[in-house]
Amino acid sequence: MLLAGVEQVVTEPRDELAAAHDAISYDEDFSAFAASRWPGLVRLAFGLTGDRWTAEDIAQTALAKAYVAWRRVSGAADPDAYLRRILVNTSNRRFRKRRVTEQPGDLPELAVEGPADLVGERAALVAALRQLPARQRAVIVLRYWDDLTDVQIAAALGCSPGTVRSQLSRALAALRANPAFGEGDEW
Amino acid sequence: MVTVTEDTQLRRRVDDMLRAVQPSAVPLDAIVRRGNGIRLRRAGAAVVGVGLAGILAVTTLALDVGRQPAAPAAAPTDPAAPGETIATGTADGHAWRLAVQDIADPGSRCVPAITVNGTDADPVYPDPGYSAAVALGAVLPGIAFGFIQLPADIRGIIVNGRRYVPAVTVAACGYRYHVAGFAYSLAQATRITAANPPPGEPTDFAMPDLASKPPATEVTPQSAGVWVNMGRVSGAAASGTLASAGIPEKGWSIAVTFGTGGDCYEFSASSSLGSAQTGACGPVSTPDGPETIMALPLGLPGDATAYAVQVSPRTARLKAFLSNGSSELATPRVVDGRKYAAFVVPNALRLSRLNWLDAAGAVIASTTALPRYGYVQFQP
Repeated sequence: MLLAGVEQVVTEPRDELAAAHDAISYDEDFSAFAASRWPGLVRLAFGLTGDRWTAEDIAQTALAKAYVAWRRVSGAADPDAYLRRILVNTSNRRFRKRRVTEQPGDLPELAVEGPADLVGERAALVAALRQLPARQRAVIVLRYWDDLTDVQIAAALGCSPGTVRSQLSRALAALRANPAFGEGDEW
Repeated sequence: MVTVTEDTQLRRRVDDMLRAVQPSAVPLDAIVRRGNGIRLRRAGAAVVGVGLAGILAVTTLALDVGRQPAAPAAAPTDPAAPGETIATGTADGHAWRLAVQDIADPGSRCVPAITVNGTDADPVYPDPGYSAAVALGAVLPGIAFGFIQLPADIRGIIVNGRRYVPAVTVAACGYRYHVAGFAYSLAQATRITAANPPPGEPTDFAMPDLASKPPATEVTPQSAGVWVNMGRVSGAAASGTLASAGIPEKGWSIAVTFGTGGDCYEFSASSSLGSAQTGACGPVSTPDGPETIMALPLGLPGDATAYAVQVSPRTARLKAFLSNGSSELATPRVVDGRKYAAFVVPNALRLSRLNWLDAAGAVIASTTALPRYGYVQFQP
């Protein structure tokens, strides 16, 4: 078989990218950190999104960002607070992006009946949380799942403790008023 | 004001909801790959800045010495063909071309890959010493294409002791590859040696064994168009969820992992009957190349077939027509600069037609040649 037309193309060296790629290696500390935080991150992200696979995607992205900034994260006074902030920001950015790119006509039209139906108490809570604005949902999850104080929640959300209190109050009022969620005062 | 009872009850319910979520094993490799991608994007942005500064400096220098600016150095043989040519030739009367090119959609982060005839990409980074090969199945039976990334001081290779293939230096996305590309017959064992092995360096290069791959069946994965890489290869990688519905105990999701193994799709489903998943890898398409339509059937508890398609940049929707006369619309999602659409079809129904729609809703392509399992390629 004849090989024809082979040419040599000379281009500017751009080895910086390759060097950057090669220079990155596994860090044992990071591996241990990621493994221990992964379940909690996925659950927190699920609380923020209501979708398990989106949650895993967000948790993965948050840990990837933590990997890139590992020196800063591991050297922080509270690495978990740092990671939580990354995760909440990642989730919010994803939510904003979806709001921009998915107009009402673009909503997924592939809802599966039957096996994917949301049923039971957990499903009711998932549905009720989904109806809350992102920040209110985050306040509920960080308060009732991560057991954080107003100050810690404020740090994760990048707002003031006063805003946290007002968002929590509104979120609780919305949950109380949600017929799919609450039956009278019985939560 | 929240009462103590409310507080306790809500805490219990949130705790119960989130403890029910059973995360999969920590995907450490994917996390590190994604982290590397973030780093590379940042490094790439920095290099672009440096490159622009360099171009300005070179242009200024050229004007200072009163010379005409030099013509671009990296022009491919065929100006219309994408990327830079590694090698071209004919095999059984069919022209072929190996090239390195950007396979991301226009406007997205550059993703370099080595392609055959502008498609079936292998998204590898420069990695001297590593080789890869691909066969195109029924398109060119008995023929394989391969490339070897060579150390800079090796000027070429010899195939089966008699054919000299020179190495070329080509670039894409800021990466520079020193590589020899060639076609070869699968009917005989292939031996590759360095044309000028420097002292102390290996003279032989190993190639992936494609000849022993069994033909695809319902239980044997297809391999046409999917590159097989030798050894630890560094390549572009990304993953993302293409479609999902439901909650952890009852739902489904279709995800893609893109890398040197191809476009690898995974369909997971859970119901009260349990959970299950299936997956397969297909060829990596380019923005202008044929699109791979992948079907992943799953029995109970999913009892559905997932379809995933890597679509062209101008595809705004995929419309799936089912055997009962109904239709579904799937909106593509972008994963690291490449666009995919995915949807599920209950196993009680069949996918009968697939239409590609543009942003205005106009049909830009249509096919009824759809797989029940595995993949087919379709040029919209």
